Amino acid sequence: MSAAVHTQPQSRSALGASGTTKGTGKSKRVLSDAGMRGRWWRFTLILAITAVVLVPIMVTVVLAFSPSPTSTATGFTFENFGNVFSQTLASTWLSNSLITTLSTVVVSVAVAAPAGYVLSRGRSKAVSGYSLLLFVMQSLPIITSVVPLFILFAGLGLVDNLMGLTIIYVGSTMTVATWMMAAYFDSIPISLEEASWIDGCSVFGSFTKVVLRNSLPGILSTAIFAFLLAWNDYLVAIVFLRSSEIFTLPMGVQSFFQQNQTDWTSVMALAVVMMLPPIIVFATLNKYFSVGGIGGSLAGR
Amino acid sequence: MSTTTTKSGLARARQGLAPGGPGGGAPNRKSKLSAQTRRTFFWLLLPSIVLLILINGYPLIYAGVQATHDGSLIETGNFVGVDNFASVVASEAFWKAARFTLLFTIVGVFGSWAVGLGLALLLRTKIPAGGLFKVLLLLPWVVPIVVSSTAWNWLVGTPDSLIPAMFRNLGLGTPLFLADPTLAAITVMVFKVWVSFPFMMMMTSAALASVDGTVYEAASMDGASRWQQFSQITLPLTARSTYISWILMTIFCVNDFPTIYLLTGGGPVDATTSLVVLAYRTVFQDFQTGPGVAIAFLMTITLVVVSVLLYRQIRKSSVE
Repeated sequence: MSAAVHTQPQSRSALGASGTTKGTGKSKRVLSDAGMRGRWWRFTLILAITAVVLVPIMVTVVLAFSPSPTSTATGFTFENFGNVFSQTLASTWLSNSLITTLSTVVVSVAVAAPAGYVLSRGRSKAVSGYSLLLFVMQSLPIITSVVPLFILFAGLGLVDNLMGLTIIYVGSTMTVATWMMAAYFDSIPISLEEASWIDGCSVFGSFTKVVLRNSLPGILSTAIFAFLLAWNDYLVAIVFLRSSEIFTLPMGVQSFFQQNQTDWTSVMALAVVMMLPPIIVFATLNKYFSVGGIGGSLAGR
Repeated sequence: MSTTTTKSGLARARQGLAPGGPGGGAPNRKSKLSAQTRRTFFWLLLPSIVLLILINGYPLIYAGVQATHDGSLIETGNFVGVDNFASVVASEAFWKAARFTLLFTIVGVFGSWAVGLGLALLLRTKIPAGGLFKVLLLLPWVVPIVVSSTAWNWLVGTPDSLIPAMFRNLGLGTPLFLADPTLAAITVMVFKVWVSFPFMMMMTSAALASVDGTVYEAASMDGASRWQQFSQITLPLTARSTYISWILMTIFCVNDFPTIYLLTGGGPVDATTSLVVLAYRTVFQDFQTGPGVAIAFLMTITLVVVSVLLYRQIRKSSVE
């Protein structure tokens, strides 16, 4: 915040300069001086805020590409990444995380889409009761279910096991995922299905052939939600995972961090590996993810 | 939604053609689903119901059993009634954690809301590269907590870290951000706000986008000041969305584990121990399953009551 305040005088001089150039040049646009100044002032303000907010992320990236204290390299280097992958189980953790997360995404969409369809189209007491139940379950702390699940899964051999982890992730993403799908199905006109019923399609047939085919944005936004939740989870992982070759990345990063508190460049290289997939997913699929959709689905039910 | 069906000949024909067979000309297709449709709906819902029972329902009931027994992670133990609850409620640590959770939630919800709202308002106006800022400002929420907590640790973790060193160079002493109990609590809350404000920003942006711009034009013609426009148009028109975002953030804050645990581990001297951290430690570090689950259970009951009340409230406000 203080940085934002500091930059204000600077911004005034900067916009003074831009104001004069605009004034002498061809000012075809009917933008008042005050409006122009306000625009650049806001630009500088948001630039300063963004810069301050991103400091933790920037230091992570900078350190990851900096030579470690014991290294002979200078300047920009990929050395840390090489070290991390050769000296730790980083590649195992990365593939564990990818397997768990992708399975979670696929299964939770496969479970949530049909359920969301029923929530969207069915209007009976039972369906709205189920909707309320999902809401209540969603708000329950995972810590409550983690202990009983630990005991249940221990009996089934699912502790310290990626499949056990995936089942819990699917269970905990499913509630919100179901709403998100239901909210999206609400936006698909029922007349589409009705037309297919006239053509002799069954309810299930029209769901898969008509509704699902038109639901890619809804499916993608649900998938992103499930992806972020499974990729970032720490609580379930710390309870259920014991051996380091079964670790997912959050556990891997954390254990590596605790053992190598001073080896910051390697720790940060691993951190960059971990934050890259969610950033890539978000950067490419950003337009499909509207948090407003989650809120809207809540309000609509 | 479906109620917008026009009264064309086709629509009337559809009413007689309920899915899965002729509906006998029922006036309202929705109220009379054919038996086959209901069967299909049941099968579509079944996987979700099974998961809900297995992953959410069963553990909740079993947690009730554990909370009333003196067992361990291996066996259920003997029934002890409400002894676990009594010992939990009588302990100082529980109330200390409850107070911290309350404060953490209040600061987390309203802090991230204020920052998110401010940025959403700023980004709504025309700014060069506004779209880029919108995406960049989401990063704290997208980056895994494990990563960002590591970065924060590097920034404030020890007296020689970057930010304490900056304070020292400015002659402001060396603040021990994670070692001083009060400062550690503040640091954890600032971290939580840092992680959560993008969520609030997205929620608010979506709500602001739905407000009709002409309302503001009319208001400024009537001589309404900026503040009046904000407090009497923007806030009321986005109230429902604000309300929903507060509820979601309350749930996120109360249930939060990694933000606190990864930055401070609940310390120093339990200054940043929330109820979830306390429950985790009681079960997995002190191996007292009964009391630990009892803590989680008390939290759960509070949240269920609160969320059912709030859910009713949202429904009511969305009907109006």
